Amino acid sequence: MKKFLVILFLLSATFAWADDNQLLIEEANNLYNQNEYEQAATLYQKVIENGYEAPELYYNLGNTYFKLNNMPQAILYYEKARKLAPADDNILFNLSIANNRIVDKIETVPEAFYARWWKSLVYAFSLDAWGWISLTVFGLTILMLLVFLLSNIVWLRKASFWSGIIFLILFGVSFLLARQKHTSFSRDHQAIVFTPTVTIKSSPTDSSIDLFVIHEGTKVQLTDHVGDWYEITIANGSVGWLKEEDIRKI
Amino acid sequence: MFSNEIMNKTKRNFVSPSRMAKTMLWLVAAWLMLGAGSVRADEVKFTATAKPVVTSGERFQLNYKINAEGANFRGPNITDFQMLSGPNTSTSSSVQIINGKVSRTSEYVFSYILQASAEGTFTIPPATIVVDGKNYTSNSVQVKVVKNAAAQPGTGQQKSAGATAGADDLFLRAQISNSTPYQGEQVIITYKLYTSLPISNINVSEINSFPGFWSKDLFQNIKEYPQTREVINGQEFVVAEVKKLALFAQRSGQIVIEPGLLECVAQVRSASRRNSSDPFFDSFFNDPFFNSRYQNVEKKLISNSLKIDVKPLPTQNKPTDFSGAVGSFSFESELSNSEVKTNEPITLRFKLKGRGNIELIDAPKVVFPPDFEVYDPEISNNIQVNLSGVSGTRTFEYLIIPRNPGSYTIKSVPFSYFDVSRQSYVNLNTPAYDVTVSKGDGQAAQITYQGGTNQTDIQYIGRDIRHIKLPPYQLRPIGTYFFRSPLYNLLMLAIAVVAIAILIVWRRTVRRRRDVARMRTRKATKVSRRRLKLAASYLKEKKEFAFYNEISRALWGYMSDKLNIPPAELSMDNVRDILNHRKVNPEVADQFIETLNSTEYARFAPGEKSEVMDKVYHQALDVITKIERELK
Repeated sequence: MKKFLVILFLLSATFAWADDNQLLIEEANNLYNQNEYEQAATLYQKVIENGYEAPELYYNLGNTYFKLNNMPQAILYYEKARKLAPADDNILFNLSIANNRIVDKIETVPEAFYARWWKSLVYAFSLDAWGWISLTVFGLTILMLLVFLLSNIVWLRKASFWSGIIFLILFGVSFLLARQKHTSFSRDHQAIVFTPTVTIKSSPTDSSIDLFVIHEGTKVQLTDHVGDWYEITIANGSVGWLKEEDIRKI
Repeated sequence: MFSNEIMNKTKRNFVSPSRMAKTMLWLVAAWLMLGAGSVRADEVKFTATAKPVVTSGERFQLNYKINAEGANFRGPNITDFQMLSGPNTSTSSSVQIINGKVSRTSEYVFSYILQASAEGTFTIPPATIVVDGKNYTSNSVQVKVVKNAAAQPGTGQQKSAGATAGADDLFLRAQISNSTPYQGEQVIITYKLYTSLPISNINVSEINSFPGFWSKDLFQNIKEYPQTREVINGQEFVVAEVKKLALFAQRSGQIVIEPGLLECVAQVRSASRRNSSDPFFDSFFNDPFFNSRYQNVEKKLISNSLKIDVKPLPTQNKPTDFSGAVGSFSFESELSNSEVKTNEPITLRFKLKGRGNIELIDAPKVVFPPDFEVYDPEISNNIQVNLSGVSGTRTFEYLIIPRNPGSYTIKSVPFSYFDVSRQSYVNLNTPAYDVTVSKGDGQAAQITYQGGTNQTDIQYIGRDIRHIKLPPYQLRPIGTYFFRSPLYNLLMLAIAVVAIAILIVWRRTVRRRRDVARMRTRKATKVSRRRLKLAASYLKEKKEFAFYNEISRALWGYMSDKLNIPPAELSMDNVRDILNHRKVNPEVADQFIETLNSTEYARFAPGEKSEVMDKVYHQALDVITKIERELK
């Protein structure tokens, strides 16, 4: 039912174009299989330029760049794919392999358990899935409310009251999760370094002190933004500033 | 001193009449002195001797002589010279019987072999020894080291004035076949001895160190030095190749080969007769029969040094599997058996044949199927060393035991080398082998006895990304998400609207139903009264059946309407419960039941009908009124 609705929704908006793009991707897949990676990448990029995306498309493009030994691009597209399909095993696997091929090896700082749980919840489902979950739970809450209001039977009223409260909490959580994901999607907060070697500055000016050096392919969190400078945080918690031209947002 | 003299003379075992008298005289004198007892013959003498003048690089002997048996010999601390060996102890003793008197002398010699290195005058400090509890110290020795010249005459016994051999007569030359080789290319260095003199005792042991090169002696199996004749500046030389090596440069750049050193003994024609203070000696050695007029002169020859410019191998088109082989080679492989049973060994032999640095080539890297048990290759060399260089075959033999049945492929093994003559890399490939392994009988039997299969862990050979995802894809415009999309909001709204609608409709229905019930309740008394009135009229008309029927309907109908329960659900059994539930006084409920019962009973009861009917009528009227009051 859900899937049907999604398809219906998508088809209604994009039916005419999607078909052409499907063909483009299939052609790119053939080129990939014939080791013509350069051309495959161009075709995949064309679909993105047409304004369409899919986790599989980003994943395949990531693979193509991996084969071309262009690790920053590969990681960028794997991360994009992961954003759309966070629980996909193949995406995570290839991303980990690509991350092993870059220069920087950064020890991740261990997060507090609640932050970790929250994050794993956020990543457990895609944004769409969270949307559906919140909608379903909302429906269930309303249903329980109706049962509570309309039933004359005492135990049914009791049961519907308590499950209604549980569903209400679940709805709140799923809605917040979805909203957080949604804001993180619409506001770029992660990026991949594309310049081979970047010196991270202490403040958003060229004359400021050099803090440390990172290399292409490293993932950074964007935490602030001044002019064309971004404040970044790397996985081990170090903070500094770099220029927009050195990175590409996920 | 005297006794020494005597001993020396007696040891020399030649006697001439004129000498005899002289000796006798000495002996008598010695005997007199010994007999006097004032001087002991075994007075300890501890002396050090060495050649006073040596050339740098020359080896010489340092002797400590003592004429008594000593203990605890402590040699000098020699720093200025290189000590090659020592102390070596030698003993000589002699026993004399002169006129019935026995005297014994013994001599102990501690000798060192030293080599002079730096020039200058050096003093060798004294050594000490203990004889009969007494410490004796030797004299110190001064040695002067003079500069060595290539053709400087040797020293020692053979040295004599006038016995010369010019540098032109005897010299050593080093030649190299190619002074600009590639790294790893075979070059041949030859040391040639040019001589116009007869020579012997050639010692070339000092030519053996070539830093920056891997060397292979080409004269391993040669007993005689190859000789030729050459004329240089009108002088005829015998040219002997005394040392020949194949060199393989291990690094690129300029490498200097240090001069080689050769020692030999040359026979030099004497220019004059021996000068000696001893006329007896001279008359003996200058005898025409003995005198060959040639003298043996120890010569040290130093060759020229060589500069070699080693070119690096070109990086262009360098094969990835290139491992440093330079020369010309052929590469063959041979598989002993391509159809075997499990656990039957097979051998894969690689044969590398050719000229060049063949001994330096590592075993080829073979990609075996992971299920094969492969042992380290057995490497055997068959290297031919001849005057033109190093060539031969190098064999790598792999012993393989397939452990599991199946068909496998041993991939082609590449081998590449740099061909100097063509100035390019050459790639060779062995064929790929298909090996079919069938299940061995013995192993199968063994397995059944063991009661299990020989399982092994999966071996991971490579690591790569997973393959691309195949269609179908769910393409959609970038940046559109279901969450917060119009559809999402719409669905959210729809759920709320539907819920509210359900709520409203439900409420309305409930209200309507409640109204109906209330109406019925309100009408219940009226209806029952109407029925009772009708019953009263039947009572008057004495219509018995219709009366009871109407009373029954009045009671049941009242109950149904009043309590809003369908008549079909009402029965004699549950009406009491229902009334109890509605908190009706149990007495009234009992009365109601009784009235119902009496209605049923009276219908068929014998006796005065009108009286009973009248009673039932009033009972029904009474109970309805009571319930009416109770349910208010």
